[in-house]
Amino acid sequence: MTKLPTLLTLLVCAALCGCANVGVKPWEREVLAREDMRPDANPLDAALDDHIYFSKEGTSGGRGFGGGGCGCN
Amino acid sequence: MLATRPSALARRLVASCLTALVLTVTQPGAQASQPNLDLAQYRGQVVIVDFWASWCKPCRQSIPWLNQLRARYGSRGLVIIGVNVDAERADADRFLREVPIDFEVVYDSQGALAGQFRLQGMPSTFIFDRAGKLAATHMGFREKQREQHENEIQNLLTGEAR
Amino acid sequence: MANNDKLIGDALALAACGLLGAAAPTRSHAAEPDGKWAIDTAVLYYGESDGRVKDASLSALAIREFGDDRKLSLDLTVDTLTGASPSGAIASDLPQTFTSPSGRATYTTPAGEIPLDSSFHDTRVALNAAWSQPFARLYTFNAGVGASSEFDYQHIGANAGFTRDFNQRNTTLNLALAYGVDKVKPVGGVPIPFATMGDAVNEEDGNVAGRAGDSEDKNVLDVLVGFTQVLGRHSLLRVNYSYSDSSGYLTDPYKILSVVDPVTGEPLSRTPPPGVSGPSGIFLFEGRPDSRRRQSLYSELRQDFSGKVLQLSYRYSTDDWEIDSHTLEGRLRVPLGESGYLEPHLRYYTQSAASFYRYSLAGGAPLPEFASADARLADLDAYTIGLKYGHETSRGNEWSARLEYYQQAGKAPAETLIGNQPGSVQMPDFSAVILQFSYHFNL
Repeated sequence: MTKLPTLLTLLVCAALCGCANVGVKPWEREVLAREDMRPDANPLDAALDDHIYFSKEGTSGGRGFGGGGCGCN
Repeated sequence: MLATRPSALARRLVASCLTALVLTVTQPGAQASQPNLDLAQYRGQVVIVDFWASWCKPCRQSIPWLNQLRARYGSRGLVIIGVNVDAERADADRFLREVPIDFEVVYDSQGALAGQFRLQGMPSTFIFDRAGKLAATHMGFREKQREQHENEIQNLLTGEAR
Repeated sequence: MANNDKLIGDALALAACGLLGAAAPTRSHAAEPDGKWAIDTAVLYYGESDGRVKDASLSALAIREFGDDRKLSLDLTVDTLTGASPSGAIASDLPQTFTSPSGRATYTTPAGEIPLDSSFHDTRVALNAAWSQPFARLYTFNAGVGASSEFDYQHIGANAGFTRDFNQRNTTLNLALAYGVDKVKPVGGVPIPFATMGDAVNEEDGNVAGRAGDSEDKNVLDVLVGFTQVLGRHSLLRVNYSYSDSSGYLTDPYKILSVVDPVTGEPLSRTPPPGVSGPSGIFLFEGRPDSRRRQSLYSELRQDFSGKVLQLSYRYSTDDWEIDSHTLEGRLRVPLGESGYLEPHLRYYTQSAASFYRYSLAGGAPLPEFASADARLADLDAYTIGLKYGHETSRGNEWSARLEYYQQAGKAPAETLIGNQPGSVQMPDFSAVILQFSYHFNL
């Protein structure tokens, strides 16, 4: 149970520190802006699946939301 | 890092650099991929350079607004140039069929102009006064800022040409 | 009588859906017209093999944008469940009789078959509403509420969260919190853990034995911390850490355990008194801990290959019930012509048994503190293979169909087996077919 918090801290730090140079310029988001590249595409399918797997297995959820996309505004 | 507007000195510095850069981009008889943007020819007029793309959702609101500005103030010396940053020209064309643009469009598919203007986000609008100096930079488009931005333009238009 | 399968942490699923729904979901379709409602509808059929659970559901998700990136989303799901599910009792060489959960009737299972709860029928309605809007240039805030109801189970929950962009919106941090309260009101009353299943009792003859109270509550708190990172023009990575804390009544009131001979492992027999119908063996109601703390790490990669999109995800989960699981999932969306696409899907899931999972209980031995024979808490492996086809019409509407095949196989840990059981373990494995039709349109 204690392995995850350490992993989490590492990941969050990596994200905020190490990722400053990773990414694309604001005008290079044409592919990321496509609906099929959005991480939250298909919310209905995802919710239906989550419900089925939750009812039939011992674990659930984890997907979260936000990010990606056209990066506009 | 972009939360505050740059100081007046910094702005003047950036403005001069940008104006110089933009002037050097002009190349008569350039290859198709090299965008042609010569702001010197618009000296004496207020110039809005607006970066847009087919995949930029707020552009569907900002472009009609710019069309309106062009209609209202074109005769008073407002010039609007839309710089398209779509990697594929076909995408830009498809967008134009849905959202017509009533001002000049320059195609910057390699992002050269975007890089020179140091674009921080999409859409971005750069406004130059009659002297060719960068007066304002706006990132993003929000309905509630329309009026404020329009007032800004009006003020620039009433400023004297030097 | 409700489907047992829904009761287990139903709130958790809905809280997870709530977290999902709260962030103003984007749809899977091309440019949504502003100032209009974008509506996604789906009809889904889920059917297990061998007379087990069948579910039909209707869902609708409506999203409206109000300018300046403010979004409202509403969703409604109605589903009907029928069919039987394993009660937790083990198969026997002889036919077995059980008292139904209501305590008023009995049902029998043929020799050699895994006992399934008698057939039932139940309808569930779930509603969610969520709002999201930006505040300051790099922040968005979201909040949502949800509720669901079926005749023996109710849930209500709320969630809130925000996202913050960094690095020219290449990195997005998100934080979310969800809290839910559930109430379970089992048919026949809440069983006392390890109480013996009693004989069937008529209405006039009084209360059902071994029950304490009409209903029980449970609370669930979910916390999510995650980030989404643009890796390049064609790829995106998302990593989420979640923590979930459930407390209250976490037991399944309809699940039982067989008591077996401690030497042979055969189910013990019993004869009800004359003139009375009742169980043909000794069956005890299960009892689970009143708290469950779970952590999980989920990572997802989305990669574009000239118009084809590969989505690969891995989730690791661990909790204080000692259920550890790994989920690996992949989808590949392949455009077909101008307006269609095909999307194959593969999923693999494996989990380790809960510390209190028991295949059966040994007669005469001291009772453990907690025990459950629910196969969903055993060691298990599951596979899904599916295909989805979608097509966008000339008016910008989209319809899609997907067909999936799910197969689950469980294993009872060796240490939970008694006597001769190792040679004759029968786990209630099953396979299921999932068929879904969806239609998207704008109003």
